[in-house]
Amino acid sequence: MPYIFLLPNLLFFGLFVFVPIAINFVYSITGGPALFPSDRPYVGAGQYTYLFECGSYVDPSTCREDHFWRGVYNTLFFTFFQVATMVGLSLLTAIVLNMKIRGRGFFRAVYFFPVLLSPVVVALIWKWILQRDGLLNAAITGLGSDRILFLAEPGWAMFWAIFVSVWAHMGFYTLILLAGLQAIPSDIYEAAEMDATPRWRVFWRLTLPLLWPNLIVVVVLSLIRAVQTFDEVFVLTGGGPGTSTLMVVQYIYETAFSNQVQNFGLAAAASLVLGIVLFALTLAQLAFTQRKSS
Amino acid sequence: MADLKLIDIKKSYGAAAIIHGVDLAIEDGEFVVFVGPSGCGKSTLLRIIAGLEQVSGGEIQIDGQSVTNVPASDRGLAMVFQSYALYPHMSVYKNMAFALENMGLGRNDIDQRVRRAAQMLRLTDYLDRKPKALSGGQRQRVAIGRAIVRDPKIFLFDEPLSNLDAELRVATRKELAALHGEIGGTMIYVTHDQVEAMTLADRIVVLRSGRIEQVGTPLEVYNRPVNLFVAGFIGSPRMNLLPGRTTSAGRIEIGDQALPIEIPSMGQAAGSEITLGVRPECIDVVDEAQADLVITLDLIEQLGGETYLYGSAPALPQITVRQDGQARYERNQRIGLHLKRETLHFFDADGNAIRIR
Repeated sequence: MPYIFLLPNLLFFGLFVFVPIAINFVYSITGGPALFPSDRPYVGAGQYTYLFECGSYVDPSTCREDHFWRGVYNTLFFTFFQVATMVGLSLLTAIVLNMKIRGRGFFRAVYFFPVLLSPVVVALIWKWILQRDGLLNAAITGLGSDRILFLAEPGWAMFWAIFVSVWAHMGFYTLILLAGLQAIPSDIYEAAEMDATPRWRVFWRLTLPLLWPNLIVVVVLSLIRAVQTFDEVFVLTGGGPGTSTLMVVQYIYETAFSNQVQNFGLAAAASLVLGIVLFALTLAQLAFTQRKSS
Repeated sequence: MADLKLIDIKKSYGAAAIIHGVDLAIEDGEFVVFVGPSGCGKSTLLRIIAGLEQVSGGEIQIDGQSVTNVPASDRGLAMVFQSYALYPHMSVYKNMAFALENMGLGRNDIDQRVRRAAQMLRLTDYLDRKPKALSGGQRQRVAIGRAIVRDPKIFLFDEPLSNLDAELRVATRKELAALHGEIGGTMIYVTHDQVEAMTLADRIVVLRSGRIEQVGTPLEVYNRPVNLFVAGFIGSPRMNLLPGRTTSAGRIEIGDQALPIEIPSMGQAAGSEITLGVRPECIDVVDEAQADLVITLDLIEQLGGETYLYGSAPALPQITVRQDGQARYERNQRIGLHLKRETLHFFDADGNAIRIR
């Protein structure tokens, strides 16, 4: 009986999730420019072999599909710094917003507002600020300094990609951590006060361990999101300058739909590889969440 | 151990005054219980002593030294919370050792103190367990152990038994009394349960609306309540309070019945309001002909060892009578009551006790 109630959603889910995954797999083992799977010749693991063919995995330029590996390394770099910055800043913000400060409600809203914006809107706002004749450069030149090409220099472009992404999503993770902080009973802090516990020790020995389950969730969720990053960076930098901010998802999109020769098979193989990485991260998140609830 | 003095303690939250100038002296080694109904300010007063709340006025002295502006962490007091407030991610051992680590004690010293307290509280077998793996009573003992290991100047208990079931509450109450006998520290205990107050306290402080109503030993407070509030609050079932008027013959008229009870002459004019108080165990059931009052029984409660009779008479509040053993009565039965003269309490129109002895 319960399965009858589950069936409508399962059918819907199957049609729009499992079937596309299966079709994606079929594309990844077939080749040629044809769109319909029945018109595509079977190539076996050829797309994967092509994707993973490298002189040295440390140097993307030695790989046959160097853009894919450039995207992998950029995504790894982006993910590491974005997640580290995001978790650190979210934790700090949540701690401050949990204190009895004046205007607490206002600040809580301010930090959450960017989450409500569409990623494309976020990227366009920041592009307007950061471009050659943007707001920031207007301020800099107004102060008598030279323009900085924030989106045209590889180092700056990656920095701003990370910054904008952190700005846009930090509110969500701050909210999770704030909820975790508020769930810690206040009498535990009062007991610590009666126990003459120094403030730093209260943070390290009480707050942090009690917030640990929420922190794990934040780390895993932000990891999953960072690995999937596409729209914000694509609109902000277009993956450039050169390939300096090209992410894996942008590579997949361009390989399949944007390049002159559309290579659905290669894009499907790359997205399946990315899918496996995301699946592993999701399993890790589920495992941590279950451990928390038990 | 230490003594404590509260001098004109006041506490307000904005315009709302919670504590209105409390004066109290607690002797070294005394077990004092703050008792009162919800919202009377007893927990606030305890938190003020702990340093978890700042006073709006007045002074707190421990061993003659003012600690009014000293933070909680520097007052050298230990508190057992209603919710236990154990650190959930730490073992029982770590919970008890945490404060000692803050004090900078050596590992051997910490181990010695924790194990001694654990032995005293029968927690030795549970030292490696986390709080969630303990029963309510065991958690409460850990909370007490956490206080004991610090050897504080004063122990503060904030309704520590209220989360336990009835049976465990009685057992833990006895353990607390034994513990006070054993370690002998100054203890301040907050409760709304007057049985806990009566059984544990050297002295009871009865509070109402942020003011002390009476301070005294449990039997003083029980036998000689200073006003209607204390008389009604202390004792279970509560004292029967019968409002009436004085007659020109120096007697009391309750409802439409003139009782053959002489009232103490304190200069009240005839017709003055007066309240007669009599505890349920101070009433005998007698023949109607010899009775001071006649009531009709509304309810009979058989508790095995004792029987409670609840009855009413025209223009009177319900009267409770306690009878030893298993007394046999019927609902709607009329019974005569004799009030034992030497146990009667009288309260004037302002609710203050009229003392005759």
